[in-house]
Amino acid sequence: MSSSATPETVLNCIDLWKVFGEGGAKAIAELGPDAPEGAFKERGLIVGARNVNVHVNRGEIFVVMGLSGSGKSTLVRCMTRLHEPTAGQLIVLGQDVTNLSRKELVDIRRNRLSMVFQDFALLPHLTVMGNVAFPLKVQGVDRKTREVKAKEMIDLVGLTGRENYFPDELSGGQQQRVGIARSLTTQPEVWFLDEPFSALDPLIRHDMQLEFLRIQKMLNKSIVFITHDFEEAVRLADRIAIMKNGSVIQQGPPEELVLNPADDYVKEFTKSIPKQKVLRVSAIMGPVDKGALSDVPIKASETVDTVVAQVLMSDGVLAVTDDDNTVVGSIHRRDLVPVIT
Amino acid sequence: MGENGQITSGMYFSGRNLIMTAIGIVIVLFCTLAPSAESVFTKFPKAWTIDLATPLGDFLKFLARKAEIGPFKFSQITRGFGALISQPYEGLKGVVATGFTLYHEEGGKSVIPPMAWTAVTAVFTIVAHHFGDRKLAIGTFATFMFFVVFGIWENAMLTLTLVTVSVLFATFIGLLLGLWGYKSQRINRALQPVYDIMQTLPLFSYLVPMILFFGFGPIASLIATIVFALPPMARVTTQSLQEVHTSVKEFGVMSGCSNRQMNWQVLIPAARKSLLLGVNQVIMLALSVVVISSLIGAGGLGGDVLKALKSLRIGDAVVAGVAVTLMAIVLDRISYAIAMRRPIHWDIAPTWMQRNWLLVKVLLALVGFTGLSFLVPALQLWPDAWVVQAGKSANQMISWISNNFHEQLSGFRDLFIIYLLKPVKLFLTGLPWIGVIAFFGTLGYLLDGWKLALLGIVIFLLIAVGGYWTKAMISLYLVVVSVVFATFIGLLLGILGAVNKPARVFLIAAVDTLQTMPMFVYLIPVVMLFSIGDFPAFVAIVLYAVTPAIRYTISALDRVKPSLIEGGLMSGCSGWQLMTQIKLPLGLPTMLMGLNQVIMLAFGMLVITALVGTRGLEEITLVAIARVQAGDGLLAGLAIAGMAIVFDRYVRAASAIAAYRMGVPNPNKGV
Repeated sequence: MSSSATPETVLNCIDLWKVFGEGGAKAIAELGPDAPEGAFKERGLIVGARNVNVHVNRGEIFVVMGLSGSGKSTLVRCMTRLHEPTAGQLIVLGQDVTNLSRKELVDIRRNRLSMVFQDFALLPHLTVMGNVAFPLKVQGVDRKTREVKAKEMIDLVGLTGRENYFPDELSGGQQQRVGIARSLTTQPEVWFLDEPFSALDPLIRHDMQLEFLRIQKMLNKSIVFITHDFEEAVRLADRIAIMKNGSVIQQGPPEELVLNPADDYVKEFTKSIPKQKVLRVSAIMGPVDKGALSDVPIKASETVDTVVAQVLMSDGVLAVTDDDNTVVGSIHRRDLVPVIT
Repeated sequence: MGENGQITSGMYFSGRNLIMTAIGIVIVLFCTLAPSAESVFTKFPKAWTIDLATPLGDFLKFLARKAEIGPFKFSQITRGFGALISQPYEGLKGVVATGFTLYHEEGGKSVIPPMAWTAVTAVFTIVAHHFGDRKLAIGTFATFMFFVVFGIWENAMLTLTLVTVSVLFATFIGLLLGLWGYKSQRINRALQPVYDIMQTLPLFSYLVPMILFFGFGPIASLIATIVFALPPMARVTTQSLQEVHTSVKEFGVMSGCSNRQMNWQVLIPAARKSLLLGVNQVIMLALSVVVISSLIGAGGLGGDVLKALKSLRIGDAVVAGVAVTLMAIVLDRISYAIAMRRPIHWDIAPTWMQRNWLLVKVLLALVGFTGLSFLVPALQLWPDAWVVQAGKSANQMISWISNNFHEQLSGFRDLFIIYLLKPVKLFLTGLPWIGVIAFFGTLGYLLDGWKLALLGIVIFLLIAVGGYWTKAMISLYLVVVSVVFATFIGLLLGILGAVNKPARVFLIAAVDTLQTMPMFVYLIPVVMLFSIGDFPAFVAIVLYAVTPAIRYTISALDRVKPSLIEGGLMSGCSGWQLMTQIKLPLGLPTMLMGLNQVIMLAFGMLVITALVGTRGLEEITLVAIARVQAGDGLLAGLAIAGMAIVFDRYVRAASAIAAYRMGVPNPNKGV
């Protein structure tokens, strides 16, 4: 089903637990991984993340999706060790992060990880420039160098000309652009975004999602993206993990989740998503057909919604090609029926 | 977890409520009525008291004179600390108030004059204008002109120096303590009761040990002020650091901040607005205390008030009192303006001149006016001939008032004394001590269970054992009468303010002014009108304590959710029904927090009223200063602090219950 960890994996959670309260580790050892919530509660413990196994590959957008209280924020905080995991292993960029000393941890955070926050977490007393340059300042980079780098990032997120503004002079969307720029100044390898667009209006949210994809295309970071919005997850993700009550209940590429939801809980989310927006042509095309029309070939990697009109208007079978224009399959309008109805 | 605590606190009034309340009432009635006139349960027997004051006083004297800690004498440490504070104090005092006198070896001396009054006035006006608006600048200018025109410049500058130095130390120490409390939960929990006592212990009780440790004079009063003004800063610091968004803290961690970077580059700047508001509080408190601590020789405007009050030259006291009030208002508004200032960006990169414009203006004014004052001496020192002698004419005016309105005023006074003060006093002091203790124990149990009951019982028992029972009841009577009266008036005015716009504007302005007035100043008009005794003290306490009653009532009624009011209106409530059935009940928890403030302020003022001749515990704390009886002063002070803390906890518990029953958030949270 889901791809397994490879040498290209930058972050790997193995049997990761977070239990809040005294004696969490002991309780996990005694109660076992499948103990009910109540068993922990009896000991005054709250399970934040339960036996989580996920990994993130280099250059991929890995989205963790769940409703509030599902443990997604806890999970991302364990990944960055903002929260101390109670049990399990966490390998980040080849290092076992659970055993790092404070100094090593500071080092990896300064240079290789960074995070964007839901409520932006900008420092109110610093200008846009001051905020974006802050992570470099903390490292002791001299003023000139860090401002040059910060300027690059400010330009990248489209805030040119606003360098001297203070956060409370900016709109929500602009503030989060500052947050994004700030998290990129140290050129991190793993980029954590904790519900970065949840606090924004729907229209601005959509803009920011496109902006985010544009930036990712240029920078190609390895990304952990947290959201409670399934549509957002589908739009952005290479792979999605769905969480409920601290457990990951299903993970895989968006189309896999939409086509084969693991249980009713996941199905509930997928119901509201138009399938044609998730499924790619490759998922529904038929075998190569010699007689297929190929004057305007259809790309296998497109999502179905982008080709619906073209397929419906045509009476015959159309050829489907891959990115190198090699014919890999065919499609007829009756193939669309299960997808768009 | 927080919810559990709330539920248990409410349970005592919901589950077993009727039975328990009934049993409580029976116990209290029995203890109050049963003891016959001569029983040991009516008057606390002398034989049962323990003299703690003498050994405590001896111990403090031993500490001050002989105790050694390692190689040092304790007194060396305290004197060392005194020296640390006296350096900036003497320096600043010389610069703005008195100038420096240098004695030469061959016997002559040369005098360096203090800063020109024009320069000081200009600097403050410029700062007020920079951070505030034109109105603030004009007010600041007028205030400093008042000092100079009425010939109290030097004392005003002395007070300003005392305030500045104590604020600097109190803020710095408070910040560090607050930061410490923020870093460690355990430390924070340990510090809270210490702050409680520091804040409720009457000022006069501080002063005696300060005299022992630091000698009579400004240093002792500075240190007393610092100790008194420091807890709010520490509390505000801990609280505002806790309130910094979690994500900002997480950002700091994710940027790899060191501990120090986290403290000084992330946490403190992110909380800077609340911290500056804390400094504003410290300034107000320090000014209030500096004025009172003139009792132990600090001098300044407070000294003027005190001297004038003692010799009943009320006119002079009024001038000094107005000066103190004006200074309080100006310092309050300027520091508030600084706290509320929003940073504004520069469109193009600012030049050095632009970035440091305030500094440039201030320096220019300093140099300019100092230079000019060499040419025109009147700009340096306001000529004595130009001083307006307001004191005399004010004295005359006041004696005219008391000559002409004597009958009305004393009639008014006697009315209160005969029908309110006297009866309550007789009733409270006549109660059997066992009955009072039973009352507090039962009430505490009903409000929050055994722990609270025990607190009340133990504190009142200690007061009895210490031999302070009668005095304590006299203090209690004045506080109770004043609190009831202030609450009643405050409630009425608050409701008026909540429903009537013009009344509200007026009330808020009045409350703001009353709240900025240093405590000491309240005594001036009441002494002027009603001379001395319990009644002027009662008036002063009511005036001082009524402000939170008004403020909290207005805000409690304002804060009722609009949807609930709309719901009430749609069910056809009349205005009266809306107020009595929806707004008042739902606002009750907040109003009870207001009551808590009323009680705390009443205790605060009670202590000061010893100066106009009240007879309770506060009198002991005041007398102790003159006689340097540290033990007696401290214990009587602790007794007052203890009673204040009991009331505080009881009202908080009541407020929590009210909040639980009304289903609104507990206003205690985060306090």
